[in-house]
Formats: sequence, C-alpha cells, structure tokens
Amino acid sequence: MEANTALELTSHYYKIAGLQLELRFPSILNLSDILPSFVGFRVEQRNGTSAAVVTFQEAEVPSEEEWGTLRSDISLVWGDNFRFYEQEDAFVTLIKHTVKDKQWMMKSSKDFRASYIYGKADDPRMGEFVSWLLMVVFGQVGLQHRLILIHASVIAYQQKQGIAFLGKSGTGKSTHSRLWLQHIPDTELLNDDNPAVRLEDDGKVLIYGTPWSGKTPCYKNKSVELKGFVRLEQAPQNRFIWKKGVESLVTVLPSCTALRWNKDLFNAMTDTLSQLVGQVNVGYLECLPDSDAAKKSFRALFEEER
Amino acid sequence: MKLRQDLVLRKVGDDYIMVDPSQGMVDLSKVHTLNETAAWLWEQLIDKEINVGSIADLLCERYEVSQEKAADDAEALIQEFEKAGLLEA
Repeated sequence: MEANTALELTSHYYKIAGLQLELRFPSILNLSDILPSFVGFRVEQRNGTSAAVVTFQEAEVPSEEEWGTLRSDISLVWGDNFRFYEQEDAFVTLIKHTVKDKQWMMKSSKDFRASYIYGKADDPRMGEFVSWLLMVVFGQVGLQHRLILIHASVIAYQQKQGIAFLGKSGTGKSTHSRLWLQHIPDTELLNDDNPAVRLEDDGKVLIYGTPWSGKTPCYKNKSVELKGFVRLEQAPQNRFIWKKGVESLVTVLPSCTALRWNKDLFNAMTDTLSQLVGQVNVGYLECLPDSDAAKKSFRALFEEER
Repeated sequence: MKLRQDLVLRKVGDDYIMVDPSQGMVDLSKVHTLNETAAWLWEQLIDKEINVGSIADLLCERYEVSQEKAADDAEALIQEFEKAGLLEA
C-alpha cells in the first residue's frame, strides 16, 4: 500500500432511521465488503448535513495515557468488550484485546457528531468492530434527534404495526418473535436486536430496522408504527400485565442506550422516553417458550379493549 | 442545603418522576417517584437554599395546615430527600 493512496479518503453516506451517517474511509477500501449489513442503508448522495461523521484513521491506537478517565468496563447493553473513557472534550470507546496491536479505539466529540476510528485495515474483524463503533455513535447521536436505539427483537404485524420485545440477554426475545412468526399470520421480523425508535415531527412513534441485529442477519431498511413494548420474563406460566405511568418507564428504561455520564445525552434520552411511554402501550409478559405465550401477547396488544 | 440541580422532574402519565443515572460502572439507573405535593415543592425549591422553615411556609401557603404540622411534614420531606440522595452533596 502506498502511503499517499492510503491517505486519500472517500465519503460514503447511509441513512438509518432518517438520520444521515457519513463515513470517511480510505478510498482503497470497499465498504460494502467490510460492512455488508449497511448495504441496504446506503444512499448515493449526500443530502444536507450529516447527523454524524466518522473518519477511519489507519493508525496506531494512541497509548493508554491518552484515553482519559475510565467510565465503564461493564455494560448491560454493549457487553463486556467495550471500555468507555472520558476526556475534557471527548469520549473514547475502546474495544479491548489482549494483544495491543489488535485493539480498536474511537475518539468522539462529546455530542458524538464527529468521531475518529483507529485500527488496522488488515484486521480480519475490522467490519465487526467498525459496525459496533458505529452503533455507539448512532445510539448517542440519535438521542439528539428524539431517537433511541433499543435492545429488542421486533415483529411487524400486517406491515404496519410493530411490537418490540424487551428483556435481558437470554430471556428469549428472539424465541418469542419466532413464536409470533409461526403462530400469528401476517407477521415479519423487522430486527432481532437493535432497532431504533423515533418520535417523529408529526407526533407518531416509528420503529426502524437498522444495520445492527445481533446474531440474526436481519438488516431491513424499513419502519412501521410502534404499537407496543413488551418486556419478557421467563416463568412457569403465561401471564400478561399492562404497565402505566412510572412503571411503563421503568419497564422500558433498561433496554435503552445512553452513556449516562453525559448529562445532556442522558436527559435527551429520558425526555424522549417519557414522551414515548405516554403514547405507546407498555406490557409485561411472564412466559413460557410456547405458542400460547405468543397468542397471549398478540391478543393483549391487538384484541383487548383498554 | 440545596436540591440536586442535575435531576429533571418529568410527568409520565399521572406520575411525577426523576431519572437518576447511576455513576457506577454498571448502567443501572434509579427512578424516583414524587407525589403531587412533593413535585410541586421540588419546582418551587429548585436553585434555592432549603430548610424546614422555607418548606413549611410553602406548605402553609398552599394547604390548610397548621404551622406545626407543616414543619413536621417539611422535616420528614427533607429526610426523605436526603435518604434518596436528592440533595446536593
């Protein structure tokens, strides 16, 4: 690789949940190969201001002294591969690796509108890491646009209404979605891990597919109106309970993404969430992994009068 | 003594709430619920120096209560706020 060609950058544009993400990567890299889950979100031309700009620097990860104050090394949403550091005017996201050479790092402005990724382009896991880092960026930038990236599996019913199933990893979100697909007609999986929920200008609440979907390759560039959030918990029986007011907020809050040390971003998240739970039904389902569980949650959401 | 200025009071449905982001390593946040009186007092008292006297005065202006009862309630409220970590350190 010639040094001068390596420095040349090309801008690529993606539109995710209505927000434009701009990636400035070395021109010699084929981004569609590196980020296959993003292909369906690609737009050919820039359209106005990008919500976030992320630049890839084929460079050594700066040394540890330059990372800042450690803010978190455990995260319920991000898993334990990440470390977040804070500096006076930047946040640093680190993807850990025992071999220093294989670490990836991202330095972002405090509002996450501008980020620089440091890593090696010949790393076979580059795509996976860049995709994770972009999820961090998108989750934080989205908060400034009344959008929350949530941890959920989403079913679209009749192509127009979405239900987001929430729960800790291993609770059976994907399983419950699969039960809907098998037992409820006219259903489709919209996303299996990280959809985006957005409060639109017209007051509607939409849920969007994204390039992030956990272990299930389901990267759909489409949206439906969000009908409800349902938190799942494994139980010896099936029981559906509606949640109101503060309980509805507490039900959804643990599945929302926000770096809580940034007061502005965290407050933006709680603002949006407070409005969302006022508009969207929130329920709690104690369930078994069986067809009755799917039918019970379907009936509660679509057939009960409340 | 002052109320924490970083907390934002919001109304969700019929409830008044404040979400307190935990500052620890794990991202578990606390949600405080206030009743209508406490929420009203919170709005009156934010940014101000608070004590039993000032809270009791507010209570007496708004509700039909005796000074003694208002002072007892004010005392109890301050203790509740203290216990819940809602006062500025």
